[in-house]
Amino acid sequence: MTTTIIWTIAILTVLGGLLAVILFLVAKRFKVEEDPRIDEVEKVMPGANCGGCGFAGCRAFAQSCVEAGNLDSNFCPVGGNDTMKKVAEVLGLEVKEKAPMTAVVRCNGSCENRPVINDYDGLKSCRVKAALYSGDTGCPFGCLGCGDCVAACQFGALSMDTGTGLPVVDQDKCTACGACVKACPKAVIELRNKGPRNMRVFVSCVNKDKGAVARKACKAACIGCGKCAKVCTHEAITVENNVAYIDFTKCKLCKKCVAECPTGAIHAVNFPVIKPKPAPTAAPAATPAPAPVAEPVKKEE
Amino acid sequence: MKTFRIGGVHPNDSKISRNCAIEVLPLPQTVYISMAQHLGAPAKPVVAVGDRVKTGQVIAEPGGFISAFVHSSVTGTVKSIGPRKDLAGNNMTHVEILVEPDEWAEGIDLSDTLVTEIPSDRQFILDRIKNNGVVGLGGATFPAHVKLNPPPGKTAECLILNGAECEPYLTSDNRIMIEQSSRIIIGAAIMKQVLGGCRTVIGIEENKPEAIKAMSDALAELGKCGAAYSGIEVMVLKKKYPQGGEKQLIDAVMGRQVKSMGLPIDVGAVVQNVATSLAVYDAVQKNMPLITNTMTVTGNCLPADRQHNYLFRIGFPLSFVAEQAGGVPQEVSKIISGGPMMGKAVANLDACTVKGSSSLLYMTAEQTVRKQETNCIRCAKCADACPMGLEPFLLNKLARNGMYDALEENGVHDCIECGCCLYTCPANIPLLDTIRLAKGDVIKIIRSRAPKK
Repeated sequence: MTTTIIWTIAILTVLGGLLAVILFLVAKRFKVEEDPRIDEVEKVMPGANCGGCGFAGCRAFAQSCVEAGNLDSNFCPVGGNDTMKKVAEVLGLEVKEKAPMTAVVRCNGSCENRPVINDYDGLKSCRVKAALYSGDTGCPFGCLGCGDCVAACQFGALSMDTGTGLPVVDQDKCTACGACVKACPKAVIELRNKGPRNMRVFVSCVNKDKGAVARKACKAACIGCGKCAKVCTHEAITVENNVAYIDFTKCKLCKKCVAECPTGAIHAVNFPVIKPKPAPTAAPAATPAPAPVAEPVKKEE
Repeated sequence: MKTFRIGGVHPNDSKISRNCAIEVLPLPQTVYISMAQHLGAPAKPVVAVGDRVKTGQVIAEPGGFISAFVHSSVTGTVKSIGPRKDLAGNNMTHVEILVEPDEWAEGIDLSDTLVTEIPSDRQFILDRIKNNGVVGLGGATFPAHVKLNPPPGKTAECLILNGAECEPYLTSDNRIMIEQSSRIIIGAAIMKQVLGGCRTVIGIEENKPEAIKAMSDALAELGKCGAAYSGIEVMVLKKKYPQGGEKQLIDAVMGRQVKSMGLPIDVGAVVQNVATSLAVYDAVQKNMPLITNTMTVTGNCLPADRQHNYLFRIGFPLSFVAEQAGGVPQEVSKIISGGPMMGKAVANLDACTVKGSSSLLYMTAEQTVRKQETNCIRCAKCADACPMGLEPFLLNKLARNGMYDALEENGVHDCIECGCCLYTCPANIPLLDTIRLAKGDVIKIIRSRAPKK
C-alpha cells in the first residue's frame, strides 16, 4: 500500500520536473519578442476596450501607437488629452491636443413636434425598423426612437427621454467613442466639439426634404431657407440638400442664427441665461396688472 | 402531385377574389412614376419638366447593368421630377405627369389579334424585352432580359413558368391565367426559343382548377400552331407555401436544388412568373412597353361585391386605387402591398403603383397586430417549416448577439425571407425581422471579402 503511494509520488515528481524542463526550453526557444512599451502604454489606457479609437481594444491601440512611431493618427477619445499626454510621455513622443468632443442628437422630432402617423408594433430596434420602412412619423430622416444608441453606449451616457421620445446625451459621461454614431441607422447622431464651457450651437435636424414637406412632417424641422447662412458672419453655415449644417470648427458661438431660424431648428446649449435688464426698460414692458402695485412702491422710496 | 421537399407551411389560402374578373381602372388626374420600378440601380429620367409625353414613350433609361427602361403610362405634360415618398415612406425620384386623354407612342400594336408566329431572331427578341422595360413580375422585379441571357458556358435545360401564386389572398396571376392564357403561353414559347428551345413547364398549384383548365385548353389549341409550342406542359403542384419561391419551384418541378449563393441557371433552370410571360408577349409581339399589370384588392373585411382584380398602369396613387375600389373600410388597421406572408405594409397610401405591385390587402387589427413575444421553447417548429433547411431559432439568437461568423456558418445568407418561421412560431418571436437584418449584414461581409481572394 505504502509502496504504491511512494511510487506514484516519485513518478509524478519526475514527470513533472521533466515536463517543466521541456516547457522551459520551448518557451526559451520560441519566445515572442514584444516591445515592452506596449504593456506600459496599455497600463495608462482607460481599459474600456470600446473601439472608439478604431482598434479592436486598448491593447491593439497601444500596439499601433508603439509601431507607428508617432501619435498623429491615433487618438483615444475616451481618455482624451490627458491619456494621450501620458501615452506620449511613455513613448517620448509629441501629441497634438484635440478639442474634447461629445455626441449630439440632431433631431428635435419630439411627439409634440412630429406627430405619429402610424403604429409600429415590430421588434423594438431602430435597425429593424429602418429596414422595414421610414418610421412611424412623416419624417423619413429623423430619430426612430427605439434606442439602438442607448444600447450601444457603454458609458451610460445616453438615455431615452420618455416625454419627447428622443435620446438624451449626458455630456459629462459621454466620451465621444462614436458607438452611438455607428449604431444609428439614420445617422442622426454626430460627434461635435464640446465647445468652450460646453457651449455649442448646432442644427437639430437632418431632414433633406423640401421645406414644405419637412415642415408638414415636423414643426421643428430645418426647412433649408438659408436665413441662418445669410446672417452668419463666419461662413460656418452651409445649406445643402435643404438642410443647414454648422461647421463647429468655424462657429464662433455668436448665436445670430439661433434667433433667425423660423422653426427653432438651431439649438444653442449651455449658454448662460441672460437675466432680464432691471427697472427702467422693464417697467413699460411689464404687464398692466402688476404695474399699479409697482408704481406706489417706487413713490414710497 | 409534386412539391418541394423541405419545410413549408399551409396557411389558409383565402383566395376570396378568385372569381372576380379583371377590371380596367380609369385614369387618375395625375400619375407619379417611380424611377425604382425594378431591382438594381434606379433608372435615370430622360424627360424634362414641361415636356409632353405620349403613352408608352421612354421617360427613363437604365441606371446600370441591372436596371430597366421606364415608360410613361399616360399621355400628358411632365409637371415635376423630384423626390416623393414611396410605399415605405422613403424618398425616391418620381416623374409627375398631368394626365390627358391617351395618345399612344408610335410603333405600338394596339390591336387585339393574337400573334402566334414567333420571331426567329434571338437578339431581336432580347432587345424588345429590354427596350420595353420588362422585369420579373413575381415579386423581385429582376430585369427579364438579364435572366433570359445566361452567361456563357451555362445552358438552360428547363424554363419554369411560375403560376403557383402560393401567397394567400392574391388572385391576379390566377385571373390572368384564366383570361389571358393564350398570350401567356405565347410569351412562354418566346422565352423558350430565346433559351434554345428547352423543356418548358408551367407550374400551377392545385387550388386553381380554373386556371389549370384554361391553360391546358389554350396549350392544346396553340399546339396546332407549330413546333414552337411543343415541349410545353402544365404541371399541377401540391398546395404549399412558399411553392412560388424560385428555389422551391425548381425543386418541385426538376427535383434539383440550387446550392448556397448559387443561381437557378447553375442547375439549368430559368424561372419566370406568368405575369412576366404576359409582359414578354406584349413586348415582343406587340412592341408594347410594360406599363400595366394586374393587382388584387381584397381582404376578409370586404364584402364579396367589393373584391376586385384590377388592370392598373404604373404610377397610379394607391389612394386612387383604394378609392376606385370603394374606399378603405373603417375596421382596416393595416394595408399590405403584396401577399400577407412576404408583402410590405403600406406606410404611405399616397405612394404609387409600380411594375411589381400585386395587391392592396386590407387587414383588421385582429389579423395583424403582433402578439406579445415570449421565450423560445425549443419546439423547432421553425426549423421544420424553413424551406431552406435553416434553423431560424438559432439564427435569431446569433443575430441578436451580432455573431456574424456563426451566422455565416449557419447559412443565414440562404434565407429567402418567406416568413414561414415567423408564421409557425408559437412564442411569437420576430424571427424574420432579426434574421433579415443579419442576412443583409452577412451578405455585405461576404461581398466585401470576395474581391480580395
